[in-house]
Amino acid sequence: MTDTTAARNLAPLREGYKYGFVSDIESESAPPGLNEDTVRFIAAKKGEPQWLLDWRLEAFRKWQTMESPHWAKLRIAPIDYQAATYYSAPKRQNAPKSLDEVDPELLKTYEKLGIPLNERAALAGVAVDAVFDSVSVATTFKRTLAELGIVFCSFGEAVREHPELVRKYLGTVVPQGDNFYAALNSAVFSDGSFAYIPSGVRCPMELSTYFRINAAKSGQFERTLIVADKGAYVSYLEGCTAPQRDENQLHAAVVELIALEGAEIKYSTVQNWYPGDAEGKGGIYNFVTKRGACRGARAKISWTQVETGSAITWKYPSCILEGDDSVGEFYSVAITNNFQQADTGTKMLHLGRNTRSTIISKGISAGRGQNTYRGLVRVQPKAENARNYTQCDSLLIGDKCGAHTVPYIEARNPTARIEHEATTSKISDDQMFYCQQRGLSKEDALSLIVNGFCKEVLKELPMEFAVEAQKLLAVSLEGSVG
Amino acid sequence: MLEIGNLHARIADGREILKGVDLAVKAGEVHAIMGPNGSGKSTLAGVLSGKPGYEVTEGQVLYEGRDLLAMPADERARAGVFLAFQYPVEIPGVNNMYFLRAALNAVRKQRGESEMDAGQFLKAVRAKLKLLEIGEDLLQRGVNVGFSGGEKKRNEIFQMAMLDPKLAILDETDSGLDIDALQMVSRGINALRGPDRAIVMITHYQRLLNYVVPDRVHVLSAGRIVKSGDAALARELEETGYGAYGDAA
Amino acid sequence: MSALAEIQPYVEAFKARPPVPEPSWLVQRRDGAIRRFSELGWPTRKQEAWRFTDLRPLQKSSFPPAAAAGDATEADVAPWRYPNAAHRIVLVDGAFVPALSAIGTLPKGAWLASTSQTLHERPELLEPALRETDVLGGQAFVSLNAALFADGFVLALEPGIALDGAIEIVHLGRAANRSAQLRNLILLGPNSRATLIETYAGAGAYWTNAVGVVGIGIGAVLRHVKLQDEDEAAIHFGHNRIELGRDARYENFTLSLGGRLARTDIHLKLDGEGAACGLYGATLLRDEQEGTIATVVDHAAPHGTTREYFKSVAADRAHGVFLGTIGVRPQAQKTDANQLSKNLLLSRRAAIDTKPELEILADDVKCSHGATVGDLDEAALFYLESRGIPVAEARRMLIEAFATEVIERIEDDAVLRAHLSRHVARWLAAGIAR
Repeated sequence: MTDTTAARNLAPLREGYKYGFVSDIESESAPPGLNEDTVRFIAAKKGEPQWLLDWRLEAFRKWQTMESPHWAKLRIAPIDYQAATYYSAPKRQNAPKSLDEVDPELLKTYEKLGIPLNERAALAGVAVDAVFDSVSVATTFKRTLAELGIVFCSFGEAVREHPELVRKYLGTVVPQGDNFYAALNSAVFSDGSFAYIPSGVRCPMELSTYFRINAAKSGQFERTLIVADKGAYVSYLEGCTAPQRDENQLHAAVVELIALEGAEIKYSTVQNWYPGDAEGKGGIYNFVTKRGACRGARAKISWTQVETGSAITWKYPSCILEGDDSVGEFYSVAITNNFQQADTGTKMLHLGRNTRSTIISKGISAGRGQNTYRGLVRVQPKAENARNYTQCDSLLIGDKCGAHTVPYIEARNPTARIEHEATTSKISDDQMFYCQQRGLSKEDALSLIVNGFCKEVLKELPMEFAVEAQKLLAVSLEGSVG
Repeated sequence: MLEIGNLHARIADGREILKGVDLAVKAGEVHAIMGPNGSGKSTLAGVLSGKPGYEVTEGQVLYEGRDLLAMPADERARAGVFLAFQYPVEIPGVNNMYFLRAALNAVRKQRGESEMDAGQFLKAVRAKLKLLEIGEDLLQRGVNVGFSGGEKKRNEIFQMAMLDPKLAILDETDSGLDIDALQMVSRGINALRGPDRAIVMITHYQRLLNYVVPDRVHVLSAGRIVKSGDAALARELEETGYGAYGDAA
Repeated sequence: MSALAEIQPYVEAFKARPPVPEPSWLVQRRDGAIRRFSELGWPTRKQEAWRFTDLRPLQKSSFPPAAAAGDATEADVAPWRYPNAAHRIVLVDGAFVPALSAIGTLPKGAWLASTSQTLHERPELLEPALRETDVLGGQAFVSLNAALFADGFVLALEPGIALDGAIEIVHLGRAANRSAQLRNLILLGPNSRATLIETYAGAGAYWTNAVGVVGIGIGAVLRHVKLQDEDEAAIHFGHNRIELGRDARYENFTLSLGGRLARTDIHLKLDGEGAACGLYGATLLRDEQEGTIATVVDHAAPHGTTREYFKSVAADRAHGVFLGTIGVRPQAQKTDANQLSKNLLLSRRAAIDTKPELEILADDVKCSHGATVGDLDEAALFYLESRGIPVAEARRMLIEAFATEVIERIEDDAVLRAHLSRHVARWLAAGIAR
């Protein structure tokens, strides 16, 4: 993102103006509530073309006919969608002026994660544009990428600069009416990321939202669209391993991945939103729709996620394996501590011949946390020789938490081979004692054992991400052993 | 180094297992504690190393003059107390080498020594591996995962060599070993004998003592040390069995 | 037909029942049950427990209860006779037929009789078992059964009574477009023991709707076998609700071969410490057969054990479903539970849906599950062919081996294993179209 774009996106959001559509450019936000005017307001403010407004309105109309999902395993307070504000940047208004004003608990966590001081300020939401020069960093990268023909920018910029690409692919993997939250996102999405890797290009670096963390606080309703053209490769890192200070209650993001023939997309997430306090108060509702389509032969999409934050996590990064010989992978670690709830898993839809999928899920429950793996493997009649292997392991720490495994297997082709295995166990006292007898503290022993349990997933993360993820696991489980 | 006085301990179901153990071990000495099944040998090892599930009801244990029982298990380990487990525990996914380095650095930190870097660590590891004829590939596997019985026991002694404890408690280290493995493990133990280190070997059988000759031998029976002597006592037991000490076996 | 129209014939049938003198508590319960059924209607695919089961064969026509037992002779029962039965009850179209039954000699403290006779002579046995008809909610077929049932069988053993000989119950369906609403009860007192073989068979397009309540007291042991071999035009629903006391053992084997639409529900609660259950079964499906096995195992006490292993084979255009839930409540520490669903999908137009589910709320447990779906092993098939065995025969052999592997899990009863294997072989001999 260029600095001018960043400024343009953020300028209207600097200060809250709560009472209407007065065109004071410094202080606008939509009034609370959600109707077609809200959607028009957002599109107008973002200077969007008519086709996108029409697309948003269509989504909104679908959303109006939908009911919020019925939660099988989640306890959730009802959300008043009319009370929310759909276009504003509340975090900017009350941003702490310096680190001294930031919650010391949060700072302690950053310290444990070994995050450099200037980055800590950025993460805590301190207005640090001058300190943390991410814009110029991003610009440097952009030049390198541009030389290869790679487009990597904010969603808003993509709509302006590459409308033909956005229009061609937007909503083709997650249609507007896919589910309640996807429809809501489609109607009111604020911003997000867009990446396009041209045919035959191997993206030379990990693309990450990290580099625009200051620039685009795209917030609640983020929309990500990544297209890898024939034979292209990209590895995308979402978010950042540090816990972000965030007051938003509801996050309803949509991520669409499209891999054409022979292309590969690797999408890694480390999610560490505010989980609520030890009593279960507060915390983010993280309702995300992530889906990738392998549109051509030999395409590959690989999801890796480490979910340690949020009060409630509800997401099922999925793969539609349309192309023959295409491959889908899902590697997940989800931790719930205190009163956190996670309901996560994947869907692997095998449509093409010789399609293969692998699912490795590691759920860890501590405190009063509830952790559910929910997955679907479906082999359609034409998916000759489809293969799936699923392994779901749950680890329980303490006697007040829960682990649930709900796999759906739907086979429609006799040449398919589907295997599912799941285990549930606790960390044994013997393992803890063995580590302690070798001199490790209880916390270190727990962290060591948990990391061992998650190893198959963590090894899928890019190196530097993996190290931070390991530390994060330890931080997330703090206080879970007496 | 270690002074145990009138030690009583019971297990979770309330049964008293140790009923007044007295024992003193000086630096440089090797003691063998022998006894029939159920005499309290493993309980003693557990209580000394701080394993959960035991309750000390009476008596005290001094380690280098400090109250050992007041220390948590990891603190005892960092203070130099090492337990070679009768059944070493498997920890899937945790690389053996990584585990050992984490343990070693925890111990070194306690002693005020600097953390070992990867190069130094590897050098130290290679020297000790040779002693126990452990292949390097073993170190790349998960802790004790997929190890044979003999490999597990050798790994225990290897860890002991690396962590350089002051007081080593070997709980039935000889059980489940064939003669070759027994000799190898014994060589490892003998190499670690030294004037600053005390070793307590807990064993049912005398055969380990043919290779690691103890300075003192004690017979534990029904939760008490009922007889003490020198290495000759072990040979005597070999001939007469524990019959006189309340075990038919 | 609309949802309401589909259930109306049953409500009408309830109103039109001939007056039979019944205790007032039963009258009340029947009234409550039909009300509940009217509210619920047929399950829909929106209900998680029914999302895979295609109920159209049931909904397309109506099956009011048969008025009386149809004609049946010894020869009609013969193909399903269990060779080792010491006690036998035969019910035709949902009604007890004394002429075909042979209760035999029972030790003192053992009660084996039809439900109607029990209602007459020992109502105190039935009353507690009928108290709740729809405890789990949303069980329309259980409610309908509670309203309409006329007969069934009751086995009650007083403490310490061991029945050495097997009990055989044969349910025959004969009346087209009629239903048999069967209500069965098994009560095993502490430390008692029995083996029970239930067979469901018949001829024609009838509907069997059986509900069983099973209580197994402290230390008691029940081996419960169900051979579901209904006519391939018939509909079968069998729902058993089982509770185990301390150290009780329950072993169930369900061999499912027949029915156009068949579903077996097993809801089992391990209510006492140290209780153990084994649930095993094989389902063979061909043509347009629709077969569901649905189990819910509820670990409500510590040290419980579950071993669950179900296999199914779907050929032609058949559809096989396995829904298995194992739940472990917070107090059920030291639970050891294991669940396995293995499936053979033999044809391009056949389908398998399987959902093995774990819900664990206690931490010190050992729970695992697994599921596989696939075709016959090609290497094995080729091996047999290379030895000169024709491909159809080789396939038959491998399917038979697949199904009998789970039958082999039945311990120390060669007669029973042979009996079940024989029915598998008979089913296979009729062939599958692919």
